[in-house]
Amino acid sequence: MSATGDRWGIPETRFGVDNWLCGAIATLLLWGLIMVASASVAQATKLTGDPFYFFYRQLLFMAVGGAGGFALYCVPMRQWQRSSNWLLLFAVALLALVLIPGIGVKVNGARRWIDVGLFRLQASEPVRLALIIWISAYITRRQVQLQSSLKGLAMPIIAILFPCFLLLCEPDFGATAILLGVVFLMLFLGGARVHYYAMIVGVAGAGLALIAVAAPYRLQRMLNFMNPWADVENAGWQLAQSLIAVGRGEWTGVGLGNSVQKLLYLPEMHTDFIFAILAEEFGLLGIAILLSLFGIVVWRGFAIARAAELDGRRFSAYLCYGLSGWIGLQALINMAVNMGLLPTKGLTLPMISSGGSSLMTVCALIGLILRVDYENRAAAGGVVSTENGARERPLRTDGARAQGVRS
Amino acid sequence: MRARRELPHPPPAETVGGWRRLFVLGALGVGAAIVLGRAFQLEVIDQDFLAAEGSKRFIRNVTIPAHRGAILDRRGEPLALSAPVETLWAVPQALLAKPQYVDAVARMIGRQPAEFRKFLQARIDRKFVYISDPMSPSEAKRVVALGAPGVFSDPSYARYYPAGEVAAQVVGFTGRDGNGLEGIERAQEAQLAGKEGSRRVIRDRSGNIVEDNLEYKPAQSGEDVQLTIDLRIQYLAYRELKEAVVKHDAKGGTIVIVDSATGDILAMASQPGYNPNNPAERKPPGTRNRAVTDLYEPGSTAKPLLVSQALELGVFQPTSTIDTAPGWFKVGSLTVRDEHDDGVMSLARILAKSSNVGAAKIGLTLGAEAVWSGLQRFGIAEPLYLSFPGEVNSVVRNYSEWGQIATATASYGYGWSTNALHEVRAYSAIANDGLMPHLRLLKNAAPVPPQRAISARTAREVRRMLETVVQPGGSATRAAVQGYDVAGKTGTARKLSDNGTYDSSRHEALFVGMVPAEQPRLVGMVIIDEPGDGRYYGGLAAAPVFARVMQGAARLLQISPDGAISPDLPAPSAPSSGTPMMVKVNARAGQ
Repeated sequence: MSATGDRWGIPETRFGVDNWLCGAIATLLLWGLIMVASASVAQATKLTGDPFYFFYRQLLFMAVGGAGGFALYCVPMRQWQRSSNWLLLFAVALLALVLIPGIGVKVNGARRWIDVGLFRLQASEPVRLALIIWISAYITRRQVQLQSSLKGLAMPIIAILFPCFLLLCEPDFGATAILLGVVFLMLFLGGARVHYYAMIVGVAGAGLALIAVAAPYRLQRMLNFMNPWADVENAGWQLAQSLIAVGRGEWTGVGLGNSVQKLLYLPEMHTDFIFAILAEEFGLLGIAILLSLFGIVVWRGFAIARAAELDGRRFSAYLCYGLSGWIGLQALINMAVNMGLLPTKGLTLPMISSGGSSLMTVCALIGLILRVDYENRAAAGGVVSTENGARERPLRTDGARAQGVRS
Repeated sequence: MRARRELPHPPPAETVGGWRRLFVLGALGVGAAIVLGRAFQLEVIDQDFLAAEGSKRFIRNVTIPAHRGAILDRRGEPLALSAPVETLWAVPQALLAKPQYVDAVARMIGRQPAEFRKFLQARIDRKFVYISDPMSPSEAKRVVALGAPGVFSDPSYARYYPAGEVAAQVVGFTGRDGNGLEGIERAQEAQLAGKEGSRRVIRDRSGNIVEDNLEYKPAQSGEDVQLTIDLRIQYLAYRELKEAVVKHDAKGGTIVIVDSATGDILAMASQPGYNPNNPAERKPPGTRNRAVTDLYEPGSTAKPLLVSQALELGVFQPTSTIDTAPGWFKVGSLTVRDEHDDGVMSLARILAKSSNVGAAKIGLTLGAEAVWSGLQRFGIAEPLYLSFPGEVNSVVRNYSEWGQIATATASYGYGWSTNALHEVRAYSAIANDGLMPHLRLLKNAAPVPPQRAISARTAREVRRMLETVVQPGGSATRAAVQGYDVAGKTGTARKLSDNGTYDSSRHEALFVGMVPAEQPRLVGMVIIDEPGDGRYYGGLAAAPVFARVMQGAARLLQISPDGAISPDLPAPSAPSSGTPMMVKVNARAGQ
């Protein structure tokens, strides 16, 4: 169509977007912004004197993340598929970098962040995205082996064991768990044989259990999450405060802004435990709506993936399954942690929690899902698919066709 | 329209069964259901428990201090007042987190920054530490306005005693928590203390109040207590007593001035004293209200009581005479001695010269029971019912235990002991024409009718005799007051030493008197405890104090003069200087 569109490959909007998905995501992001403003007032005042410090940061990250997500939306899927091995390398390099003292920043005994000036990048966020892209590419490449042999299933798992090991060195148990969960979900959807699968799941589960037992602080955490009231002033403090926050919510909550637990009683109230504040302010009704919104995101994500799968673009399909599953899984785990069903792991609530790395990664991830949807729609519009690696840009054909149709 | 093309790439794979996708969605759905179920459990089923756990942590009952009633003198002058103050407190952890504020706060509350930091460090685990003494609200406001995190102020009331040492033992003082510990502060606690109010607030974790309208119970102020004390007379009494104690190098002293008609205690002071505004000084012996708490043997001041009984029983007449020659008299193993041998004396002369021999002979003539019941007449063994802390009762053995010696000694005031208020009350009966008033310290206390101790005639006779004590030739000429006739009695009692015998070097100098003698308005008693300068006679050490205080008190109360203005006495307005005015005033004018 336009010269700019041609040159930069900016997708046209004429095929529309998935209204349910975009609606749910917009609602979640907006709600998240409001919740960050509400939950962080006391903490922001205490740390900086400006009650809206975290809100402004979140706004900035949302702008940066939105721009980044849009940039990713413009990148054809085949580019990712083609560079998936580089991404694996990038992931390992980043994880190694963060472990180097001086580059990696240590907070609360964990070296998970790289200071990039404006904010601290949590390495595990882009790493997980990169690894999931690599896994999608792997499934696309070796789906026959995956479906028929143990080796086909074991290969990708062995490949991500090293990044997982580096993640555990930080340590970042939560990110590792999410990554493994998503990888298994993708391999399962890729058609891994169920009995191999069950076996590997068993081995991985045993391995995780071993790791948890080997590091005593994790064991301590696991124990106190069972009964936070036993040592409520120390080890159980955070979870007890989180449970109190949720419990205060009742059916409809104490009202936006009226949370008391956010007033420095609940640590990490605007990041990992923002769900508890949301539950306090909006009650069971709010939780139900939040779950529904995440449900819509996962449902539409899977629908888009399914469409791509049916259309034969398997890389897009598995990536989309993985990303949607990631959002759903992390949201569920975060809520479960907030309500004392799982041990505290340091996972954010996607799209709601304050934090640059998390928010920008989620934006990127949304950009990718929407790109898959765009390519689905473009294909359904009768446009030449780019899946076979044709040099021809889809946009030009689009534009040409569209003009042709119109004229 | 819709062009679908088989892709030639990559290798063909089996179509993945749709059940897998449904399985994953189903698993996520189950997860969502579990989360929702857990939320239901927490927000609906466990709600009460969790909300209570939360409230336990952030809902605080803040007490609102109640204003304590003031203590006033009979004219409304304040003796004890409560003023609002603020006390600063801190959450050490919150304050230390912002080091730049620590020094500023330390400087503003007048503490060394290094010492203050150490102080906070030592208390880092506490959530509430007082960091200052009570200070004026405006001063505290300035510190809080620094905006230092975790620094707050609590309102309370501080107790001030405007009269200071002057009325210290009567008024007493309150402790750190505001409860009365001594004196009227303790005795009238129920009336003075208000009821604390309270409000329920929500505090954030650093102690800031974020919600303030949960529940409010206002504080109820305490009621004022008005005393019968007249601060002007109290001041006079305090000043003269203190001066005398210093002048005579005495261990202590007591003075009580009472309105003889009503029994109102107008002044009551003790030495040594203390400054009630300084907590460090609040300890015995300064805090002792000796008029109430100290027992002594009344010595010669008991003789008028004996004479009253003798007249009342009709055994002696005002005209009766007693032979005291040769100035001593043996009762068993006891030898009663007088200073001089004055031969045959009238009752008045026995009192004026304070003859022990005469008193002993009267007592032995009356007999033990009559002497004892004479004391009962004047309520010596009857409690004062002042409900003042530390109040003691007289110690008088029953007459059935008295032999000849005990009867003789009891007659001139040994072998039994009492306190100043009892004796003042007894003399009030003589002053008040035989009607003994109930002593009062609280102005609004229900009046108690006086009880008759002796007949009016006896009272007047005894007063007339007691006038001669102060007149030239009597033992207490220094008790004379310019413009007024004074009736009174001196006493010089030896104190008991540790081994139970009388110590010849330690004395109580006593004087009890009333003004004006014809129709007394005021009764006063002065005790100088152990004068150290050798001038231990009641007439020398105690009588001048009485004279100076009564001089001032009579003028303040505008009591009509009944006596002559004598050039030998100091002028009424200036106790120690100036030319006395030679004016003869009609004795009954204005009555």
